[in-house]
Amino acid sequence: MDLSIKRTAHLARWNLVLLTRNRLAFVYAVVMPLLPLLLLLTGDRGSETAGASAITTLFLVAGLFPVYYNVLAQFVNRRDELVLKRMRTGEVRDSELVASIALPGIASALGVSLVAIPVAVAFGQELPVNVLLYVAGAVFTVVMLSAFAFWTAAWTKSAESAQLTSLPIILIVSFGPLFTSISGLPDVLRDLAEFTPGSAMSEMVRIGWFGLDGPDATKTTLDFAETWSVAAEPLLVIVAWTFVAISLAKRSMRWEPRS
Amino acid sequence: MNNDSGSKPAVRVRGLRRTYGTGHDAYEAVRGVDLDVPAGSITALLGTNGAGKTSTLEVLEGLAPASAGEVSVLGLHPVSDRAEIRRRTGVLLQRSGFSGDLTVRETLRQWSGTLTNPRPVDEMLGLLSLEDRADVRMLALSGGETRRVDLASALMGDPELVILDEPTTGLDPESRREVWRLVDGLRERGATVLITTHYLEEAETLADRLEIMHAGQIVRSGTPTEIAKGHPSTISFAPRPDVPEDLLGVRRVIHEHNRTTLETSALQDSLTELMAWAQHNEVRLEDLDARSPSLESVFLAIADGRDPDPSPLEVGSL
Repeated sequence: MDLSIKRTAHLARWNLVLLTRNRLAFVYAVVMPLLPLLLLLTGDRGSETAGASAITTLFLVAGLFPVYYNVLAQFVNRRDELVLKRMRTGEVRDSELVASIALPGIASALGVSLVAIPVAVAFGQELPVNVLLYVAGAVFTVVMLSAFAFWTAAWTKSAESAQLTSLPIILIVSFGPLFTSISGLPDVLRDLAEFTPGSAMSEMVRIGWFGLDGPDATKTTLDFAETWSVAAEPLLVIVAWTFVAISLAKRSMRWEPRS
Repeated sequence: MNNDSGSKPAVRVRGLRRTYGTGHDAYEAVRGVDLDVPAGSITALLGTNGAGKTSTLEVLEGLAPASAGEVSVLGLHPVSDRAEIRRRTGVLLQRSGFSGDLTVRETLRQWSGTLTNPRPVDEMLGLLSLEDRADVRMLALSGGETRRVDLASALMGDPELVILDEPTTGLDPESRREVWRLVDGLRERGATVLITTHYLEEAETLADRLEIMHAGQIVRSGTPTEIAKGHPSTISFAPRPDVPEDLLGVRRVIHEHNRTTLETSALQDSLTELMAWAQHNEVRLEDLDARSPSLESVFLAIADGRDPDPSPLEVGSL
């Protein structure tokens, strides 16, 4: 990708300024992902299941609000206001525009994922078993959901209709982990659910941070070395979804409103 | 600023076509345009709405692909040499937008950070008389003020080639004159300007060369005088169905819009004969008007699709 870091950072900073000036966008991008931290106060202090549920929820919210929905809304807005069209007459490259719109939300999501570590420890949780896996999960999540946001934008008519067009991805991402954790479900459905991006995201957290072996596990059983092999499948799933999302987005980018 | 390439056009277009849609819905907006914009000149692309001006410019700007034809901008290809061209061009779109929550100054600072050689923001604020509005959010600006911010952005990179798509549409007369002054200033800086407009006065005032576009094609090229020359003069008056059609020099008599109009290639001769006929028949020609060919008459004739006699007029065409 041909991209000037300086221009991208410059534009990302202005996109952040714009984010702070729109109250709703700011709440979505910065305040929402912090809320799941409150879940750490519920349940038994230090319980792995309570911790895992709080952090997977945080991952989900951080991925869906500051990244997916926010990037989608910002891009559609800028496109419909013809800001993108104007920007594209200048020296800015397309890759820089795309990156600078995604960056504030990505920074917020990654920031919250990192802040969660000391906060969780303060509430009695153990440090992550394999912090590398946890961070890899966070990075792939934000990249994948940014790409899904640009793809969704391609068939989203206006900022209002984004409320509707964002639903499929939001549902797929949120219901994956739910299905895998429901015990009475037929195996076929549970196996299928494991391949959804949401399940992969939550498994990366459960394995990487809490060393939980499988969706039903309630106690830490994995050590650092063991987490790698158990995490191979969800890691592969999330990497695959990331590539799918990027290729969908690349093929469908639209810079002007439909006339 | 580079203005030494006198012979080499800043923009060269050959056989440009642009089609929207496919199959039955396909519409060809640009139908074989040839265009040269000499370096250091101000060239106006003149045409009615829908003539294909913006569709042509979008290809030059690298925003849209051509369906056919060759385009070179500053000797480069608009798409494959995009980065190089963008450093050296300034583009004002016919319609564009801003983030309403940024102030004027912030908007210009935002743009400035994307340019290789930006002129200072304060200088641009001064140039476009925006100092008083510098700290006002974009959404609170009037249409004319927004247009001036747009222009400030287009000119901020000190471009060699400036493409202005209807820069004064929607501006009040005073702001319009201010834009004209700016465009003249660009000429003095040695820049090449390609401007589209549907205001004749604007084209006549600003442009060294005119390219008149109609229905996707360039139908006339040349200086304003060259284009008007050879076009018929007109004599018109309140309707008189009995006026003779064989007066010296008269090519055509038109009875429409509650007026009789004579088109003539010899205004004085026709007028003399007309006066003689009127006196002889004791006819009083009400509301008599006689005028030499103007750009307006050429333009209106083209826009109406009654382009009378293009052959002797291909003055500056290629």
